[in-house]
Parts: sequence; structure tokens; C-alpha cells
Amino acid sequence: MPEKMLNFTETKEDELRRVRAALLNILEDTEEARREAVRERNKTMAIIENLTDGIFLLNNKNEVEIISPLVLDFFKKKKEEIIGKNIVDLFDNEELKEFKELLIDSKKGRINKVTKKEISIGQRMDIEVYTVFLEEGQEEGGVLIILHDVTRDKLIERMKTEFVSIAAHQLRTPLSAIKWTLRMVIDGETGDITSEQKELLEKTYVSNERMISLINDLLNVSKIEEGRFLYKQEMASLEEIVSIVVDSSQELLKMKKMKISFDRPKQILPQVNIDKEKMELVVQNLLENAVKYTPEGGEINISLEKDKNDIVFKIKDTGVGIPEVQKERIFTKFFRGDNVIRMETEGSGLGLYTTKNIVDAHNGKIWFDSEEGKGTTFVFSIPIPNQSIDQ
Amino acid sequence: MFKKILLIEDDKFLRELMSKKLINLGYEVVSAADGESGFIMIKETKPDVVLLDLILPGINGFEVLEKAKQDQEIANIPVVILSNLGQGEDIEKGLALGAKDFLVKAHFTPQEIVNKLKSILG
Repeated sequence: MPEKMLNFTETKEDELRRVRAALLNILEDTEEARREAVRERNKTMAIIENLTDGIFLLNNKNEVEIISPLVLDFFKKKKEEIIGKNIVDLFDNEELKEFKELLIDSKKGRINKVTKKEISIGQRMDIEVYTVFLEEGQEEGGVLIILHDVTRDKLIERMKTEFVSIAAHQLRTPLSAIKWTLRMVIDGETGDITSEQKELLEKTYVSNERMISLINDLLNVSKIEEGRFLYKQEMASLEEIVSIVVDSSQELLKMKKMKISFDRPKQILPQVNIDKEKMELVVQNLLENAVKYTPEGGEINISLEKDKNDIVFKIKDTGVGIPEVQKERIFTKFFRGDNVIRMETEGSGLGLYTTKNIVDAHNGKIWFDSEEGKGTTFVFSIPIPNQSIDQ
Repeated sequence: MFKKILLIEDDKFLRELMSKKLINLGYEVVSAADGESGFIMIKETKPDVVLLDLILPGINGFEVLEKAKQDQEIANIPVVILSNLGQGEDIEKGLALGAKDFLVKAHFTPQEIVNKLKSILG
């Protein structure tokens, strides 16, 4: 019996020893896991601390857990004034009003879903904002707010458009001098000239006019990029605008022996809310293109009608058409079709870009249908404002 | 009586071209090369019409126009802006300040400008 007893004690001891070893092992694993977690955390923090973007990580109560240093610049606050605070309480500054309105749905007390929205903080910073919602299983997780500093990009963009605009104005002055001089000489105001001289100067005059119109195009583009292109919108009749453009193009059409027909709408169309001057430019660009890229003796048909919610303008020509492979690029800046560069040297590649931007700015749509060698139809639509549907 | 036209234009060559054109047509022409002297000339010479550039050294054309329209003595003299500015907001501003017309230099020939002046002079 004592022997058995002894045996039993030994077994117990062995077992304890084994348990202890196992525990130690577990402890060591835990410690390793803890160290690993700390390393991971340090790594994450190192990434966040060195980010050039501003980052907030909010927990599911909208309290700030982690921030990157740039955030301190946005709020002009110290780190300890931000961490642990509810995000809503951080917008105590008038400068941040726009930011707050974008980010927080104050009715529901929630963070809005935001993707690449641009806002400015006072006059000092322009930022792009994104929010990312983190989900933990079924539970609502935190929110990651990313602020991308675009101050410098915006500044360069502004400088660029300003430069184009100033350069264009400055270029107009010498061109005016050339225009005026040529006109006076051609008209014989400075004495007689031979018919050969006159012919040469007339051609020079036309070249100069091209230059002036190229500068107008550049000015329009710089306005588009400044985002203040539409100047004055008012209720007006599109039919009237089309008539003006068609009437003023008669000479051009005669010169190319082209026929134009304008199918006027059968009933009076509702007015639309437009910038008349810009809309005239749209119709004119489309008509000029049709004339330019249709061989002599061709035909152009214009129609205007009311669709369900839009006024729809169509212009169809029997011209050279747009090459299939280039159709996608037709509305991009400085684009010109391969086939037209060869036939017609004039053209800035800005007309359709400008046209599309104007139509877009009116919440309209523009598209086309074209077959090379047969012709092209351009169509644009401008929405009819609600009140005129009711009337 | 020949009608008197005041040109306020800082570019010497454009000023000469326009003067030549107007003198050939029998107008009396006086001119100024900056905003300050332009304003003084309006007061001193009392022209029948002013052709006013906008980008001028010293005070610009908008300011000249504004001052002229506030001055009882010369407020009635018609002013036509002849400039190479010409965006919507510039035109609106010029007309709101009391200009009779707004002509973009590069878009008009001297004859077309004269025709506009004729219609204003009656």
C-alpha cells in the first residue's frame, strides 16, 4: 500500500510539473502575442503618424480614437484636446462650419458618407474629404475620416487659369492692332493698293481672325476650369437662339453652296433656364462644325422638339463623319479627328469640349451618332424646369 | 460743328490708328493715355462721346467711368467702353456703371466702331 501511495505522489508531482510547464508555455505565447500586438500597434501608429493626409479614427460612439498629425493643423488644437472627444464637439470654430455641414448629419447625429468632396477651411486650406465605415461583423464599427490636403493643387490650378486669362487678354491687344491696320489698308484708307496686295492682305486678315477666335476659345476653356463659366441664367426660348445662329450663318453656308433646313417645332416650346450667350455658342459651334466638315454642296438639317422633360436640339449633316476609333475622345480638350486634320487646317480642338461643358452646366446631355463618310448627327437636350411643365 | 471724340487708350499704336480713322472722317479727336489724365480731359474738353479703355495705368477705366458718372458736370457725356476685357461680368459691370456700349477691340473693325459712335451721336 505505501508503495502505491508513493507512486501516487510521484504521479501527482509529475503532473504538476507538466501543468506548470504547459502554463509557462501558454504564458510565453501570450507574452509573445502581446509583444506582437504592440509591434503591430506601433507599426500602425508609425504609418498614421507619418501620413501626409489627415486621418481620424472614430469608435462607434463617434469619439476620436486615433488621429494623424495633420488633423492638428485643421483644428488648430493640441492632440489631448482631440483624442477621446466626440467629433461633433470639435467643430467650435467658424472656419470649420462648411466642414461640419459636410461631415455630420446633425439631425441624425451621424457621420455622412462622403467621397472626394472638396471644401475649404477658411481661406487657408483646401481639402478633399472621404469617409470610410468600418464594420465589425453585424455590429456597427467605427468610422475612418480621411482628409487629403489639396491646397497646393488648387493654388496651381488657379494660377494656371489666371495665367491663361491674362495671357489671352494681353494677346488680344496686338491682334487688335493688326486687325485694325489691315482693315484700314485693305479698305484703301491709307492710299491705293494693287489687287495682288489686297488679296494677300485679305488672307492675312483671315489668319488674324483665326488667331482671335482661338484666343476666345482659350478664354472660354479657362473660364470652364475656373468653374465660373455660366454667367447669367434666365428663362428664354431655345428656338429664338437657334434662329439667330442660323440666320447669321447664311453667308457661310452660301460660300460652301450648302443647303440648310430648320424644322421649326410645330407648337410653341416651353422656355428653358439658360445662359443665352453660352447657349448661342453651343448652337454656333455645332453648326460651324457641320459646315466645316461637310464637303461643298452638302446638306444640314436642324430640328428642335419637346421630349418628355427636355427640349431636344438635333443637327444632322452629310459630312465626313467621325472615325469609329476616335469616337470616345470627341469631347476632350484639344482633340481633333484624324480625318479632319487633313482636310481643314483651321480648328482649335476646343469647340466640342466647350460645347459639352456648357450643356453639362445646364444639366443637359449631349451625344452624337456618326458614320465615317456618310455624316454626323449631334443631339443635345436641355431640361425643362418644373414650373413650365405645370403651366 | 465737328463732333469731338475723346480717346482714353494706353496703347500708343491703337490710339494712333483710331485717331487717324476718326480724323479722316472729319471728327475732332482728343486723347489721353491713362485714367487720371483721361478723367481730367473729360472735364476740360467736354467731348461729345468718350471711347474708354479699361486696363489703364493708374486708375482703371471702370473707376474713370464711375467718377465721371458721379460728376454732375460731365455725367451726361456718353461713354463707350472699348477694351479687350469682355467676359460677362466685365460687360455687366461696365453697363451698370453707365456705359452706353461695351465693345471688345479684337471683335470690331475701326469702321464698325465708328458706326457705333455715329448711332450714339445721332
